Amino acid sequence: MRSQLALLQRELWEHRSIYVAPIVVALLMTLAALTGQVSVDGMDHIDMGIVGASNLPENARAVVLTGIMIGLSTTFVFAMLIMTIFYALDSLYAERKDRSILFWRSIPVTDFETVLSKLLTAMLVIPLVAFVMIVVTHLAVLLITSVWVGVRGGSGLHLIWASAPFFDNWSATLIFLLALPLWLAPFIGWFLLVSAFTKRSPFLAAFLPIAILPLLEKMIFGSVVFAEAFFARSIKMPLFIDLGTMARLFEEGENFSSLGDAELSLLGLMDLGGFLSNPGFWLGLIVCGLFTAAAIYVRRYRDDS
Amino acid sequence: MTSLVSARNVAKHYGAVRAVDDVSFDIEKGCITGLIGPNGAGKTTLLKAVLGLTDCQGSLSVLGLDPFRQRKELMQNICFIADVAVLPRWIRVNQLLDFVDAVHNNFSRKRAEDLLANTKIQPKAKVRELSKGMVTQLHLSIITAIDAKLLILDEPTLGLDIIFRKDFYGNLLEDYFNEERTIMITTHQVEEIENLLTDVMFINDGRIVLDASMDALPEQYVELLASSENADEARKLNPIYERDVFGKKVLTFEGISREQLTGLGELRTPDIADLFVAKVKGATA
Repeated sequence: MRSQLALLQRELWEHRSIYVAPIVVALLMTLAALTGQVSVDGMDHIDMGIVGASNLPENARAVVLTGIMIGLSTTFVFAMLIMTIFYALDSLYAERKDRSILFWRSIPVTDFETVLSKLLTAMLVIPLVAFVMIVVTHLAVLLITSVWVGVRGGSGLHLIWASAPFFDNWSATLIFLLALPLWLAPFIGWFLLVSAFTKRSPFLAAFLPIAILPLLEKMIFGSVVFAEAFFARSIKMPLFIDLGTMARLFEEGENFSSLGDAELSLLGLMDLGGFLSNPGFWLGLIVCGLFTAAAIYVRRYRDDS
Repeated sequence: MTSLVSARNVAKHYGAVRAVDDVSFDIEKGCITGLIGPNGAGKTTLLKAVLGLTDCQGSLSVLGLDPFRQRKELMQNICFIADVAVLPRWIRVNQLLDFVDAVHNNFSRKRAEDLLANTKIQPKAKVRELSKGMVTQLHLSIITAIDAKLLILDEPTLGLDIIFRKDFYGNLLEDYFNEERTIMITTHQVEEIENLLTDVMFINDGRIVLDASMDALPEQYVELLASSENADEARKLNPIYERDVFGKKVLTFEGISREQLTGLGELRTPDIADLFVAKVKGATA
């Protein structure tokens, strides 16, 4: 356990972008919020916004705030996906490239423990860091907004802090951030394996097969099993009740009059039980496990150092 | 004495190439064994097998463990410095100490810090900011602070200047070595370690051509510096190798007593480098 924590710590030392990138995104968002508020500050008619917000029912304000919070979170999710790809592809490649692998292997840690620490970093540490930075950004942006509202004579406390559905939003965000890498686990496992075996350019070695396999399959067999598997895996994450319902809820949210007294709940849009009992979810984890086992095997048996 | 490393018919093939070919030897506790061989002789492969970094045929036991299958347990008691096992360039000195402290049961952080305090290495420095000599110094300090039973050095001083090399071996003997510890070392700069060794092994083409204690060498091997006329007489005793030095003949004998050569010229014990050449070249001649 102590070794595993040290190994995870080592990943953060080596890959500082795991926390630097989300911090930069958070700063940019906060800066954008600051300058955005200052520039609208110049326009007098914007006070109408406060008046309008004050006249909205609380559940409608919650929808607007949820929209803002999701908008902020989305950037982090994209940053996290890109970072996970680069991290996983680098994780077992860098130590071979800089020839430090023999040092790491001269320490009483098994190849299993080492590769596990890389997998945990991709699946757990990166999402948790993203989550913390999302919460910080939400608070910073809402604080800036409420100060601005206060300066214009509105009540930030009432309009924002009392209306923002923090618990619902953050719980749903955390579940989503943890579920996403689990759903994309086959890709992460594949990236780890590529990173363990490739002699050069892990990026190419990882994405070329993903691009070429469906093409070859189509050309040789005329079928599209791979293409559909890749597509379904990248797009259709079975965590939400269904996208149509969600889109409709948001449209209704825009059209506040039709909302009535209904509460918008992001948690309510999620079907965690359905996600965890989805065969595709478990199949993905098995594929990830096989790729990871192969990565451990390659690290243990390859002998080119 | 107990055998720390025991190899019986150890072999490692890369395709048709026999990197290590049916090798058997023992290394006893408290010894400093030099493993000497030309490039490609199989030294590094043999060390890797001992370290459990590569699988091999035959039976190999290190500290009573199967190195490849019990590498983690083994690494609690083995340390390793190699020219190729470089420290990661991005790590800071204090991070490295933190890490080793967390994963190594036998590491004394205090001892490592004391040793580093005698150097110019700053705790906050990154490895990439250190010179090659300082990186080796750092590595040696960490390893000295690990209470390990066996230390394996594979070309540890390659690319270092003479001052660092002398310091390295000085520190190795002074701070690291004691009767509880055992060292296996390979290097091309044989002359520099000749005086530290208690045992020597020559390896060539994957096979061990000599395995002896340094104390036994003068009894087994003798070098005769003879004029050309005397050399003819001496050749009857079957020297294993012959070379010319300043118009004189130098003949190396194995298993010939010094009395038999008396009167034929000057007698001396060959140094390791000359003996190595004699054994390796003599075998092929």
